[in-house]
Amino acid sequence: MRQAQQIRLSAAEETLIAQLKGAGADSTAERISVAGLPTRRVESYHYTDLKTLLRTVPPLAEAANAAEAPALRIAGAYQLTIVNGRLQAAPSAPAGVVVGTAAGDVLSPRDDVLVHINSALAPESLNLHIDGVIEQVIHIDRRSDGPAAHSASAVKIFVAESAKVTIIETFLGSNEAHVGNHATFLAVGTGAEVTHITVDLSARAATHFASNQYEIGPAANLRTLAIHAGAALSRTQLFARFSGEGAHADFTGLNLVDDGKHCDITLDVNHAVPNTTSKEMFKQIARGRSKAVFQGRIVVSRDAQKTDAKMMMQGLMLSDEAEILSKPELEIYADDVVCGHGSTCGELDADWLFYLMSRGIPRTEAETMLVRGFLAEVLDPIKDEALSTVLNGIVDGWLLNGK
Amino acid sequence: MTTPILEIRNLHARIEDREILKGVNLVIPAGEVHAVMGRNGSGKSTLSYVLAGKEDYEITEGEVLIDGEDLLAMEPAERAAAGVFLAFQYPIEIPGVATMTFLKAALNAQRKARGEGELSTPDFMRAVRQAGSDLNIDSEMLKRPLNVGFSGGEKKRAEVLQMALLQPKMCILDETDSGLDIDALQVVSRGVNALRNAGRSMLVITHYQRLLNHIVPDVVHVFSDGRIVESGDKDLALQLEAKGYADFDNAAA
Repeated sequence: MRQAQQIRLSAAEETLIAQLKGAGADSTAERISVAGLPTRRVESYHYTDLKTLLRTVPPLAEAANAAEAPALRIAGAYQLTIVNGRLQAAPSAPAGVVVGTAAGDVLSPRDDVLVHINSALAPESLNLHIDGVIEQVIHIDRRSDGPAAHSASAVKIFVAESAKVTIIETFLGSNEAHVGNHATFLAVGTGAEVTHITVDLSARAATHFASNQYEIGPAANLRTLAIHAGAALSRTQLFARFSGEGAHADFTGLNLVDDGKHCDITLDVNHAVPNTTSKEMFKQIARGRSKAVFQGRIVVSRDAQKTDAKMMMQGLMLSDEAEILSKPELEIYADDVVCGHGSTCGELDADWLFYLMSRGIPRTEAETMLVRGFLAEVLDPIKDEALSTVLNGIVDGWLLNGK
Repeated sequence: MTTPILEIRNLHARIEDREILKGVNLVIPAGEVHAVMGRNGSGKSTLSYVLAGKEDYEITEGEVLIDGEDLLAMEPAERAAAGVFLAFQYPIEIPGVATMTFLKAALNAQRKARGEGELSTPDFMRAVRQAGSDLNIDSEMLKRPLNVGFSGGEKKRAEVLQMALLQPKMCILDETDSGLDIDALQVVSRGVNALRNAGRSMLVITHYQRLLNHIVPDVVHVFSDGRIVESGDKDLALQLEAKGYADFDNAAA
């Protein structure tokens, strides 16, 4: 038998191991005991060294009795609230939406510690089945309430053939050093049209981990938007797989990072079948001493001919101490495809700023206009008016906070 | 004597170690249109940028008064609110900023700075329509991001539209004729002439005399090596066109 090399475990790792063992996830516990949390030597965590960044893991979350009033409301939306991993009493669902719960564990097994932890610790999963055209926006409000806690939550969504739906998930919590580990599995049926938005609005003291898995069926159309505007340490992982021909997806995201924060969006898209297209557009804005990370990998399988995929990362630095990191990767095994990627990074354009100011617009307002302009490409495709108002409000709130 | 709209006294400015303006003196009374002519590189555009408040330049000497107020102490936005408007030689394209959003922000910011109330959306729309009526500006143009994909002529017309909307008292037109064909030149000139009135002054910076056939100046100044070397009436422009700038270079030496 191979002898495992002894590593020095951090307090966070010790706590995690105990929590995983308590949940019966011995193999995951064992793995962390042997290898520890991923460090920068692990390729997919190169820019987000969890062993260093995750200092403490609070006790496992207890069930909350009753949810406090929602901190964020989207006008006209059908709202479901999950507190500390458990679905709260659900209002009656709109026609075409079936709400249920099941045992946790919604993500497909994958060699990733955050996925393993979620699968081991999520107490239950909210299951949604969507059929038909749902006019009402569905808002899944996930919260960590009470004292600082490690909480896992899971959502599994099936969108039936030809259905249409817009779903936003928001992550909020009490002002404590929570560690949230959230998962969403979303299957998009044949010809269905889905918009899926996740927004981290956790307290600054908190840590936010989320893993979204997308299975995209034939002729489906998916738009995703992941926004980080909360926790000081956050990582959203997007795992997408095209499993039916003729489908298109836009994967978009926004890292709003300010002083003392580290936000990471990691994307892994697999074009597994022929004739699918995707566009990836990620924007990062960093100010103060902060770090924004985007890793994007597009894998085109051997049979996936006629794949068309274009990935772009654009960074905007608002301070000299900010870091914006981007790692785009293409892995192409088919020979008849169109794939590309690009990254740009810069400051606000001085000539643009001068032009706006020369027309009477004061500097801060001009800067805000340019930042909004920079983000428009990602936010404008969200057509629902109430939703668009909320998203723009989140961005404006972030901009104002920095002034 | 009434206070002139613009008064420049012994203005020196440099960019890095290079002095570009070397003692400019210019007084523009209310209602007058002054042309500044000079060859490329004589410092004409620098003068316009310095007046509008571009950061790249360092003022080493002299002063500029707008309506008797110290212009150089103001931020660019304050200068605009005080009535300075620079029509850019190369208007900037700004993707992601809608033209209408920009116009509204500019107008309301200036109104706010002057202690006037913000315009309601219908009043604003009316003001834009009125400002654009003689400039062949269609609503499609206004729906696009600011100057993005505009032709040279459209950009210049958009500058004049902004001028008409913002109603500045000191208009600085930097090479407004560059990149315009005859038809576009006429439209733009008509727009500018429509804004001439007793309370508004203009500084028309140009390389060629032809613009001055359309926007007829009260006074023509010849600019050479960072200062004004000769001033006269509109015939001076014709003289320049005939003889070139060489004679005036000697005058400057």
